[in-house]
Amino acid sequence: MLKDITIGQFFPGNSVIHRMDSRFKIVLDILYVVILFVADNFISLALAGIFILMAYGVSEIKPIMMLKSLKPLLPIILFTAILNLFFVTGEGEPLVNWWIFTIYSEGITTAVFMIVRIMCLIIGMSLLTYTTSPIVLTDAIERLLSPLKKIKLPVHELAMMMTIALRFIPTLIEETDKIMSAQKARGADLDTGGLMKRAKALVPILIPLFVSAFKRANELAMAMECRCYRGGEGRTKLRQLKARPMDFMIALLMLTLLGFVIVDNMVF
Amino acid sequence: MRKYGDSQVPLKSDGLFLFFANIIGREKTGMNIIEVRDLSFEYPITDDEGNVIGGNKVLENITLDIPKGQFVAVLGHNGSGKSTLAKHFNGMLLGNSGKVFVNGTDTADDDKIYDIRQTVGMVFQNPDNQLVATIVEEDVAFAPENLGLPPAQIRERVDEALNAVDMYKYRLHSAHQLSGGQKQRIAIAGVIAMRPECIVLDEPTAMLDPKGRKSVLKTIKRLNSDFGITVVLITHYMDEAAQAERVIVMDSGRIIMDDVPKKIFSQVERLTEVGLDVPQVTQLAYELKKEGIDMSLEVLTEEDMLKEIQRLLPKRWHTDI
Repeated sequence: MLKDITIGQFFPGNSVIHRMDSRFKIVLDILYVVILFVADNFISLALAGIFILMAYGVSEIKPIMMLKSLKPLLPIILFTAILNLFFVTGEGEPLVNWWIFTIYSEGITTAVFMIVRIMCLIIGMSLLTYTTSPIVLTDAIERLLSPLKKIKLPVHELAMMMTIALRFIPTLIEETDKIMSAQKARGADLDTGGLMKRAKALVPILIPLFVSAFKRANELAMAMECRCYRGGEGRTKLRQLKARPMDFMIALLMLTLLGFVIVDNMVF
Repeated sequence: MRKYGDSQVPLKSDGLFLFFANIIGREKTGMNIIEVRDLSFEYPITDDEGNVIGGNKVLENITLDIPKGQFVAVLGHNGSGKSTLAKHFNGMLLGNSGKVFVNGTDTADDDKIYDIRQTVGMVFQNPDNQLVATIVEEDVAFAPENLGLPPAQIRERVDEALNAVDMYKYRLHSAHQLSGGQKQRIAIAGVIAMRPECIVLDEPTAMLDPKGRKSVLKTIKRLNSDFGITVVLITHYMDEAAQAERVIVMDSGRIIMDDVPKKIFSQVERLTEVGLDVPQVTQLAYELKKEGIDMSLEVLTEEDMLKEIQRLLPKRWHTDI
């Protein structure tokens, strides 16, 4: 179960998407989400879907990774779809009217739209983390947020915390697996019982996990000090973020898409 | 006991040393990289209200010189104070009394602390808890980034450090996909990237499998022989200490022995007294000597043992036949 988490996974490569300026990638990803939610008919939504599929094609990420990113969020997608299916009311006769269930054709449309939107949203966001190394990603966030330093927001510290959090996700997942096996070997029952019982069963897993995480944090802080870490002041970066003409072209392409979607909405 | 005076220091050949000194852009100055003078350290013991009621002495009156280019092993069982001593070498800890000098600079000098940490790099036991970034080369770049170097120089140092530990082809891998030994070599590279003159390794192989241990030790020895980096290896593995030029044995916060490995390990009884073993072949030689065979105890490796047996055998045959 824990192995399914794909957040923060990164696949090194040399595609157009990999080489994009990560600041552009973040901003354009947000723009893509805007496009997805502005689009409210089949043509524009299909365009948005084709766009992200094309982006995957260019990025050289294996298509199976798209499905993997969707898998853990499948329950949420289904839940949203079912809610929309039954609770959206439309004009005219309902298609189905049985017991307490009524389904209107608008409900079906909204549900399908919602599924497509959320799916595009997830795989779009995953494309960002798949093609951008975590450090470059946090670096870009640091740069994008740097104006906020003026209002005393600790931007560098936040970015460093994100870097370390992403670095330790696989380590802590592995550790959780080990602790779970160790507790099971001592007779801990993790998989049966009601919600309360299961929640209580998590305590003997969380306590050792926290203790070890604090120990790790302590050692890491020491190792960082030994490597001359002294905050963001005067720090340089291995990788420089540089906007290339390609970034502006892709941005233009997406703005065109947004424009088309808006026009499309007004015409239909 | 032989003391390590300046004249007996087995320095690397000057040509090689100067070659490296040129690379790192530093001049060869004094002979000792680390000088410890009368150092004592204690952890305060507090009562429930946080008042200091006493001290737990960890180091007592340590005086020690480590010459440039030497490969020193520090031995001692758990709680002997060897890790605490190591943390004084780059100013992570400051003694209650006494001083530590790195290249003549007092480690208590707050303004020079980052120069000191750059000169004396430190590698710890658990490789997982020293890697900061997910991708190998980004982790190695962490220290040069902290030093504020321009990107082109960072790149140069990262490549150089990864080549030095023979991990260049893994530079784009995620750290968590590597084996323990590989991770520890990345941690070493992360320190090498600062171009330190000395590396202190605090039980770097304690969490590794035999294969990983071997590869890390090989890397450490190469950094010492090829790059002239001073190495302080803290360990409780006798076979690792046996490969050093000099062994320091610690017990209850004091240095009790300080000599070349052969002289140290031949004192089998004294080592056993402080809870340490000797390498297996030395143990064998010791047992044979106890049985009345005229055996030298200065054997550390199987080759040494083979030579010793070859020396003895014809003589014994003469007397027996």
